[in-house]
Amino acid sequence: MSERSLQYQSQNALTVEHSPTLTGLSVVPIGLFLVAFVVGSATLAGRLGFESPLFGLALETVFTALLFASGACLLATGAASRLEIVDTTPDRSAGVGVASGFGFVAFSAIGLTASQTFGLGGVRWALPASVVGVLVAGSILFAREDFGVTVPSGLFSLLIGGLFLFDVIDPSWTFSPAGFGVTFFGTVFVPLLTIVASFVGAWAAANAFQGFGAAGRQAGAFFLIGTNAALILLVLVLLIAFIVKNGFGYAVEGIEIGPGLHFHWPFVMDGYDVFLGQKGIFPAIVGTFWLVVGAVVLAVPIGVGAAVFLTEYAEQGRFTSVVEVATNGLWSTPSVVFGLFGYAFLVPRLGNNTSLLAGMIVLGFMLLPLVLITSREAIKSVPDEYRDASAALGVSKWETIKEVTIPSAMPGIVTGVIIGIGRIAGETAPILIVTADNPQRKFAPAVLGSFEFTATPPFIVNDALLSGSSALPYQLYGAITTGVVGDDPGYGWATAFVLLLVVLSFYVIGIVTRMYFRKKLHA
Amino acid sequence: MSNTLQRGDQSEIDEGDDRRESLLRLVAGASLGGSLLTFLVAPWLTVFFVIAFLAVVGYGWFAYQERTAKGLMFLATVSTALVLVLIIAFLFIRSLPAFGHMGLEILYTDGDFWSRANDWYSLYPAIWGTGLTTILATIVAAPLGIASAIFISEIAPPWAHEIVKPAVETLAGIPSIVYGFIGFTIINGYMMDNFGLTSIGSIVVVGVVVGLMALPTVASVAEDAIASVPDHMKDGAAAIGATKWQTIKSVTIPASFSGVSAAVLLGVGRAVGETMAATVILGNVMELPEPLYNVFGNTVTLTSLIASQYGNSHGLHREALFAAGVILFITVMALSVTAQVIEARVKRNLGGDL
Amino acid sequence: MSNRMNEPQEPAESNRRSTDSVTQTTAGESQEKTQPEWTEYEFQGDPKFSVEDLDVYYGDEQALQGITMEVPENSVTALIGPSGCGKSTFLRCLNRMNDRIKSARVEGSVELDGEEIYQDGINLVELRKRVGMVFQSPNPFPKSIRDNISYGPRKHGELETGLLARLRGTDSTDREQQLVERCLKQAALWEEVSDRLDDNALGLSGGQQQRLCIARCLAVDPDVILMDEPASALDPIATAKIEDLIEELAKEYTVIVVTHSMQQAARISDQTAVFLTGGELVEFDDTDKIFENPESQRVEDYVTGKFG
Repeated sequence: MSERSLQYQSQNALTVEHSPTLTGLSVVPIGLFLVAFVVGSATLAGRLGFESPLFGLALETVFTALLFASGACLLATGAASRLEIVDTTPDRSAGVGVASGFGFVAFSAIGLTASQTFGLGGVRWALPASVVGVLVAGSILFAREDFGVTVPSGLFSLLIGGLFLFDVIDPSWTFSPAGFGVTFFGTVFVPLLTIVASFVGAWAAANAFQGFGAAGRQAGAFFLIGTNAALILLVLVLLIAFIVKNGFGYAVEGIEIGPGLHFHWPFVMDGYDVFLGQKGIFPAIVGTFWLVVGAVVLAVPIGVGAAVFLTEYAEQGRFTSVVEVATNGLWSTPSVVFGLFGYAFLVPRLGNNTSLLAGMIVLGFMLLPLVLITSREAIKSVPDEYRDASAALGVSKWETIKEVTIPSAMPGIVTGVIIGIGRIAGETAPILIVTADNPQRKFAPAVLGSFEFTATPPFIVNDALLSGSSALPYQLYGAITTGVVGDDPGYGWATAFVLLLVVLSFYVIGIVTRMYFRKKLHA
Repeated sequence: MSNTLQRGDQSEIDEGDDRRESLLRLVAGASLGGSLLTFLVAPWLTVFFVIAFLAVVGYGWFAYQERTAKGLMFLATVSTALVLVLIIAFLFIRSLPAFGHMGLEILYTDGDFWSRANDWYSLYPAIWGTGLTTILATIVAAPLGIASAIFISEIAPPWAHEIVKPAVETLAGIPSIVYGFIGFTIINGYMMDNFGLTSIGSIVVVGVVVGLMALPTVASVAEDAIASVPDHMKDGAAAIGATKWQTIKSVTIPASFSGVSAAVLLGVGRAVGETMAATVILGNVMELPEPLYNVFGNTVTLTSLIASQYGNSHGLHREALFAAGVILFITVMALSVTAQVIEARVKRNLGGDL
Repeated sequence: MSNRMNEPQEPAESNRRSTDSVTQTTAGESQEKTQPEWTEYEFQGDPKFSVEDLDVYYGDEQALQGITMEVPENSVTALIGPSGCGKSTFLRCLNRMNDRIKSARVEGSVELDGEEIYQDGINLVELRKRVGMVFQSPNPFPKSIRDNISYGPRKHGELETGLLARLRGTDSTDREQQLVERCLKQAALWEEVSDRLDDNALGLSGGQQQRLCIARCLAVDPDVILMDEPASALDPIATAKIEDLIEELAKEYTVIVVTHSMQQAARISDQTAVFLTGGELVEFDDTDKIFENPESQRVEDYVTGKFG
């Protein structure tokens, strides 16, 4: 027992109780952050303006009030915890990370004010900024955690709110930092600062919600990470919604169904012909279709074959690692470099002009590493028991691969190919260099009908394959650079909409297939 | 090559068969080599060799299926590496004149950067522009990507996992030209109206957009690394009463640190090579931002230089664009190889267990 | 082939007998659940754990059914049974490590020192500080030996070192050294590693790693140490060291060990609980009694090696 008497901590209670006061106080800043985020973003996006009041209040007053409420709540939380009115479990200090974060904010604020507003140069702005920064960081370090977290974030909110209240920063305020060709207007800066300050406040409140300490820091960190995930979702949804909203109407305009089997979708089924008044993207859709087909025909057999060889036959050694490095290198090679390569290697040898065939081969080369990597993963994940069981029955290795390994790896391979197709279908740069032709074309390439036999080598020719074509992503690029978008923005949005629809359907199909097979595997 | 092919598994083939087979292999190899060679120097003759190769393979498939299949798969493996070799060879050959003409001034120069009249092509502004946009993109992609990786593999409840993971993948699926289109039509105008920018396009917009595009790469590679930290190691921390966040911070992230840094490197590689968004958003002027760190200024990147000038380039001008391609390629390849070396070292150090 | 399968007569017979006894008991159970095959284990002193009617499900599958038992303190309790009998699941219920498995669902009651650990608002951190755990395969962190041991106390804010702590006057380098030394000595590892405390723990041998994990667990000063087949991945010499250590630890801690080796249970434990397939607790009593004169027929069959 004597040895255990070294222990230096009393046993804590096995249960934690959250006092309702603490919960109530700390939920408020989180809610206020959400409000500030919504109102602030709406202002930034131009949906709300400073000249038009919100619920009878000037927008500026709303922001100021939000900040004051949040700051006051945080200070109250900190005081309640420090005076032990509520039960919390704070650590001795908020830690170096928090201290240096707030120290840096203080340093930048003072530095910017001194150098830009008062025009102090060199050491004369750096000195006060550093002193204040270090002071802020130091006092946070030496304060108990509950104070170290709530007080600086609360004061930050109050300070910004104060700047708004006394019109130091108001919507008519402008700020042009020397050396940057940019002007910050109050109309942007006020909502931006409100969002930032209330976000910091919400983080501190999440910390307080769990009573500081290890649990509090976890809540704070999870709040940040969760917000990040939510923002990524938001960006994705906004991107897609934006394109659908702007492009859908234009894309589906004038669809005729019936009588009978008659079906006409002008945007998707017509070419681009100014004289006929047609503005469709049919040639680009067909071009993309053939490009994808060609790339798949080239890349899938080579990629899957190489994956089988590397996993099943080759011994791990220098050869496999060289191929691995090359594959990963191909994966990271920028698409524009593939385009350059195609131009130097393929174009002179395929009729000396940009062509659909060159595009197919270049996209095939781009698809190759994707197929190889995903197929290899899929083949590797086939359990060895399958191979052993088959070998134990006296089946040869090749038969085993054909009958057991590849079928079991099929879901993975198919998913990889589908997602890979989604990726190359949206590639623009290589098409631009090796396939480019007039992007707004009247007619689609007639690949199937253009095969011709000749008496001289190469005996079969196909003019459609050997001449340039358009493709969906290239059509969009062409619409931007040739100024079509400037005259008719809807055309650009509609093209983007169809392109996104094509590419994302491959992704959705790929992801859903994978989920389906995973579920089946686990069931 | 023949060594690997001879490492057949079956031994019950008599000598006559063996001789016939080596002959077949010889013919197949010769015809394939011939196809490649003729394609390089005299493409119209390639067809004969291709026909010969197909004939040999066709016969082999019926006679010795396993060995033919193995040989074909070996060829597939070699041709993957060969693609890279061809890329390197053609890029370098085509860019040599530009490097020869410009010397080191192609990388850095004090005077004029770009003049077609004087055949003077320095890539300095494009290199600087690529560097600046990549730094901005990394500032966006690295922390947010790692945070999403942590969210997906460690924190998310099952329902959120099912939403966020496909969402990040979908973000990777949006074509770069679509990002570029939105940047061109919406963000550029917004920046001019609300931030008083005087020109269309700015480095900061490209940086943020490219960062968003590199984010999924960072997130998915880092997620793999984080998820490969064995559960029993995390259990160990949980059993001592560490919170989940403490476990992530002090066990999971340190144990997967190399994989996470490899993820960041690959993300940087994506950002360096991103083409269309930069091409469409930037003004693509062959100038340095003024001053150099002015991220609200306008410039050009290596990728957007190639994409925007390729169409009307000839002679040395075009070769200078190939030189830009070489610099891009070397940068990205260095990042990729470094990332792989890091990952290999991790595997070795932790006995492949991690 | 089929001939050879039929050759050994005895196991086939014993198989039949054991199935018989299983069917008998299930029949008996359905008649009256109040009368188990064994009388409840009685001991002196306070129970450390009181478990009542504990059911655990993984998804739709039931892994433990209606476990009721009391574990005495400062002793070694062994949990034995064939694989898949739920003994590890039971162990992981005692510090709520099952919470980390998404599909797991726990019903019933577990009290630690009279306090319910499956109530709302339980502080898992505090629970796991009191109830430490050592795993089947050694799992030291990829850090130095010293950092492995100080990890827990550091995370609980009891140790601080470094420049900042020195500035604030809360530096505890000396205490850390004392702690590391005490825990390593308690885990019988001090002699072997005292000169390389700053080396990476992954460089130790398997047995040393496992003792390091025990030391790491002791550093947060638990009352109970749960061990899940702690020696199953080790060679006989390392196993013997761990067994000695367990007996030593039982003087101050309550040790609960899952083991698949009946010999090991007989050697080290004071009392033994036998779990059988389906996740039921068949008998819990003094180890001697379990191995020499069990009340349940099935336990007798199991400990004499007739099945399992």
